[in-house]
Amino acid sequence: MSTNTYDAIVIGSGISGGWAAKELTQKGLKTIMLERGRNIEHVKDYVNANKAPWEFPHRGGRTVQMEKDYPVLKRDYPLNETNLDYWVNEKESPYVEIKRFDWFRGYHVGGRSLMWGRQSYRWHDTDFEANLKDGIGVDWPIRYKDLEPWYSYVEGFAGISGNRDGVPILPDGNFMPPMEMNCVEKDVADRFNKFYKEHNRHMIIGRTANITKPLPGRTNCQYRNKCWLGCPFGAYFSTQSSTLPAAVATGNLTVRPWSIVTKILYDKDTKKAKGVEVLDAETNKTYEFYAKIIFVNASTLNSAWVLMNSATDIWPDGLGSSSGELGHNLMDHHLGVGAGGVVEGFEDKYYFGRRANGIYIPRFRNLNGEKRDYIRGFGYQGGGGREEWGRSIPEMSIGGAFKDALSEPGQWTFGMGGFGETLPYHENRAYLDKDKKDKWGLPVLAIDATCKDNELKMRIDMANDAKEMLEAAGVKHVQTFNSEPVLGRGIHEMGTARMGRDPKTSVLNEWNQVWDAKNVFVTDGAAMASTACQNPSLTYMAMTARAANHAVEELKKGNI
Amino acid sequence: MDRRTAIQNLALVIGGAVLLPHCSKSNPTAHFKHFDITYDQQTLITDIAETIIPKTNTPGATDLNLYGFVMKMVDECTKKEDQQAFMKGLGEFDSIPKKMFNKTFAECSKKEREDVLKSFEKKDNGYSKDLTAFYQGVRGLTVWGYTESKYFMTKEIVYELVPGRYNAWYPVKNGKAVAKNA
Repeated sequence: MSTNTYDAIVIGSGISGGWAAKELTQKGLKTIMLERGRNIEHVKDYVNANKAPWEFPHRGGRTVQMEKDYPVLKRDYPLNETNLDYWVNEKESPYVEIKRFDWFRGYHVGGRSLMWGRQSYRWHDTDFEANLKDGIGVDWPIRYKDLEPWYSYVEGFAGISGNRDGVPILPDGNFMPPMEMNCVEKDVADRFNKFYKEHNRHMIIGRTANITKPLPGRTNCQYRNKCWLGCPFGAYFSTQSSTLPAAVATGNLTVRPWSIVTKILYDKDTKKAKGVEVLDAETNKTYEFYAKIIFVNASTLNSAWVLMNSATDIWPDGLGSSSGELGHNLMDHHLGVGAGGVVEGFEDKYYFGRRANGIYIPRFRNLNGEKRDYIRGFGYQGGGGREEWGRSIPEMSIGGAFKDALSEPGQWTFGMGGFGETLPYHENRAYLDKDKKDKWGLPVLAIDATCKDNELKMRIDMANDAKEMLEAAGVKHVQTFNSEPVLGRGIHEMGTARMGRDPKTSVLNEWNQVWDAKNVFVTDGAAMASTACQNPSLTYMAMTARAANHAVEELKKGNI
Repeated sequence: MDRRTAIQNLALVIGGAVLLPHCSKSNPTAHFKHFDITYDQQTLITDIAETIIPKTNTPGATDLNLYGFVMKMVDECTKKEDQQAFMKGLGEFDSIPKKMFNKTFAECSKKEREDVLKSFEKKDNGYSKDLTAFYQGVRGLTVWGYTESKYFMTKEIVYELVPGRYNAWYPVKNGKAVAKNA
């Protein structure tokens, strides 16, 4: 057995790659996890995690130089000086935007599990059945019952805090105790839930992958709200805090940073993959690694990229392209639309602590027989808070009294933004641009995707419903916002290698196996056949654990 | 904290021995990355910041070296055209106290300085775009620097991260905010 031979290869080390590595190693497989970027060691490498705001030279802001260096990242909140090292160097790793597509990437061990939003919601059968009922895209080859035990399993290990709210459309899970709404949120939620009692609309505390009780090696959330700097307490789920230590503990895991997987090596005689080719990002040397099974968890678009680059001698458009769907049906959640206003009273009340979580309103549109002029739906995330020193006092702009007023609490506000489902459109796609190369001479992706009529119509409801509901809940001076809908901005890229029931119309089968190479599993966002409106990462975790279990069973049976 | 310590602390934060360009009487011009500042200009901006956030029974802008923060942000986080407007407005600034009191800002009393700054709140003051941009820039950055200074965040409001907790109801004490969510 050569030193480059393992039982399993996992491409990528983010949320789904970490889960694949944990499951496969715990089931006894010698596994190598290949990560294209640098290593980030838990706690030790969270260099800014314990810095106070005044210790950042620009107080967390962005410099003109940063804006020059990160023309994509600067379009939204991620660009700032507090965790710049966690985001991809856009000059080294460019891509082509046929239409604007905000691609915010993390190339390092842990991937975006270090910077993710942590909101964790199960899907419902409504979501799995939607494509079939609407005649859109392809039918999901799985239903809620297929994932349900895996949801419970991953929730238990990852640690999801949440309330068992009994909302029909949003199944309850295996939760740690919920975080608490602050006094104004409780008041608004009470009025909201009373007002909409007969209308199946619910305002609940967010379900988040921040633990509220300790887990082995992890301390419960300290309410610092500095998650995206990396948590020294391991209080939120990340590869580093959760799946990686479990995988390492088996003695079966090898992690190799700086390993860009350039292609999956396909053996046309066995009709299986035999390994991968790796370009060492530091030395530019090429290596091959071999294994019986390969998990592709490079994140949606890069998983598609790896497949497109593979087995091109047999399929010009890459491994998994025989259906003509590889790279297609690229989706995201569309957002940047909602409403906010002011809550009167509560002047003598405040809250203590920085809770990295908010409220959630699960989907309520196009359910129970309702038909809007668009299909599918959206949920809201938001919350209430008290303005602090930043408020403007028109009659008092300078001087001692102004200075003192800056430390007084301001008014209470309440706001929320929608996360809308995006449909799978065949023409929304990514493909290899062979003319443009990255730092390593590899072809880059061209991305051509946009929101369409269904999303745009949905956004009108997303703004108006937010206003109407906040007003019904007693929020005053409510203003709506509806920014330009841009795909990618949700940082929930999905699709490009969808699951399905038919190899002619899908890339993966019901077990996330590539139809054209059954020992290759794609279990990140690429596998999604639709997006629902819930934050997707929990579903990737469940899907990965399920697929890994299947992979090992099939391996034992000699089927792959 | 005196200015010297403040600057040293800032330099430590930057991660190297980079001291912010600073003038003194013997060193009349400070070279920033994108512009030069004379001793008089440094004094003027420092005085404006001190008028916005004055020393009372608690520290003011000068004590907290907010001038340093303002200039760092103008130098590194401000687009070229906005920097140019800032510098032009800076050049025009003393025309206001001249007109109001026939004095430079440096020569004005505390009350006169306040009147000069308050004149920016009047809608029909007729000030040029550059002048307004300069003043609003200094004011915004001074307030930002103050409210995210160590002094403000630890002494004026509470900065306590660990052991962490979340109390959904918490009384407002002495009219003070509890903690900024940063």
